[in-house]
Amino acid sequence: MVALSELLGDLVADVDGLFLFTPSHSHYEQFAETDVPTVVIAPENTVEAETFVELPLQFQNVKDRIRFGVEGAMEQSIVEAGDTIACNVGVFGGDPDSLVRVRVEENMRSGIYDLFANSRADPGVIRDVFGVAIELGKKGQKGEPVGALFIVGDAGKVMNKSRPLSYNPFEKSHVYVGDPIVNVMLKEFSRLDGAFVISDSGKIVSAYRYLEPSAEGVDIPKGLGARHMAGGAITRDTNATAIVLSESDGLVRAFKGGKMILEIDPEAY
Amino acid sequence: MSGFASASLIHSSVGPVPAATAASASASTSVSAAPLQTVGGVVDDIVRIAGVRFLGVLAILLFGILLAYVAGTLVHRLLVSVGVPEAIEGTAFERTARDFETSTVEILSWLTRYFVLGITVFAALSFVGINYADRFWGLVIAILPQLFIAILVLITGVVVGDKVELLVAERFRAVKLPQVNLLPALAKYTVFFLATLVALSQVGVATLALIVLLGAYLLGLIVFSAVAFRDLLRSGAAGTYLFFTQPYSIGDEIVVGDVRGVVQEFDMFVTHVEAEETEFVVPNARVLNKGVGRVRR
Repeated sequence: MVALSELLGDLVADVDGLFLFTPSHSHYEQFAETDVPTVVIAPENTVEAETFVELPLQFQNVKDRIRFGVEGAMEQSIVEAGDTIACNVGVFGGDPDSLVRVRVEENMRSGIYDLFANSRADPGVIRDVFGVAIELGKKGQKGEPVGALFIVGDAGKVMNKSRPLSYNPFEKSHVYVGDPIVNVMLKEFSRLDGAFVISDSGKIVSAYRYLEPSAEGVDIPKGLGARHMAGGAITRDTNATAIVLSESDGLVRAFKGGKMILEIDPEAY
Repeated sequence: MSGFASASLIHSSVGPVPAATAASASASTSVSAAPLQTVGGVVDDIVRIAGVRFLGVLAILLFGILLAYVAGTLVHRLLVSVGVPEAIEGTAFERTARDFETSTVEILSWLTRYFVLGITVFAALSFVGINYADRFWGLVIAILPQLFIAILVLITGVVVGDKVELLVAERFRAVKLPQVNLLPALAKYTVFFLATLVALSQVGVATLALIVLLGAYLLGLIVFSAVAFRDLLRSGAAGTYLFFTQPYSIGDEIVVGDVRGVVQEFDMFVTHVEAEETEFVVPNARVLNKGVGRVRR
């Protein structure tokens, strides 16, 4: 008869690191002294861990969350390809409730971490724009599904590669994403066509922009429409990041360097 | 003297005492009129034994205690309703008060009560006719309100100073520099110093030397910041102008001095101009100083 705890023993045998996702203080204290290196992955470093990866979004998809953590740890040279790690992560609700054994591979670099940490715009700005897109996807505009296109970062170049469709409502204004009132404004303006251009520090530069990138060599999945094509293409021409809310399937996608990096379902957040 | 007069008035209405006796009314004469007691005689008894003055003092004291209680409660309610407890949460003074199982608001309301009570006691004493013109009591009465205000100012100063320290520390928390801890303490002690100064001058202590010290401190602060923040201030002023007029916006290609490039960002103090390879951070003062050229396309 095999004891149940051996099941766990197999999972944690010879791991090179322990990844704790959003641990509570006591939970972290419990494992901080173990003989394997511990990495904390959380929105905020509340437990004052030495090795810490900031989680910009509480990815509902556990695979995305783990991938983000692993990529962040790879980026910070905490782990490298070939290592085996144990991830203590919460699948249902907030508290860590399961253990996942992951082998770190070079091809795990999907660019999700890169999207937040190494974009031209501030990580906080990208997170805020994601927040707006997710909220917009969830509620829509007055109950109707709505599409939106946000180009974040490298605003000067983006402005030079686009033209106005109409009078710019944000002209001579100094509003930043993340302010509560701005979310309402963005929601209202998303009813009209064109892209929002947002600067590195989160300032909303313009709405109603018609993007004019050269579309050659853009690698986006087939079946996506003109909005995604325009957003994906401009990220190839500039150092911007495009965050697109699809009107037809309601998903939020992020593009960088002409490639789709992340796809999330707003309903799950 | 009114006490005497009213006592004689009651007396004369109760019993058939000769007017001459009533005019020189005293405890012994009123006792001699006792056999003629009627229904309201009990009151008369008290009046006779204790004298009207005593009743007056009792009334004043009762009224004073009531007033003190009401005033204290009002102060308590007022402070709570304007949100003082939340505002001073976490200050050292409040925490010390909590250690003694009270709170700043509680202390202030009790202080008000004691002040009103003190006034009541003096009013009662003066009613009884104790010689308050005595130099010592005169001094005490003159200084009491001043002392009350001084204590009030001191408590307010301590609480506000603590709060200022907390706010400044919060503001600089992101700056991971040990020396920055000096600033919150400096702000706190400045407020303490001001409060002490006001309190001392309230009770009439000579504060000229302290005022001179304050003047020197402020002058030093102004000179120091004028020198240290000169460029920041100039850029801030220029930035305000640029904010209002916006001669260029993000995406325009501009020339400032020998810098030429596309505007990526601008805030109160600087403008980010991106050229082919480099991103220049140009102070706004320089933009206004050198003038700016916008490249037409």
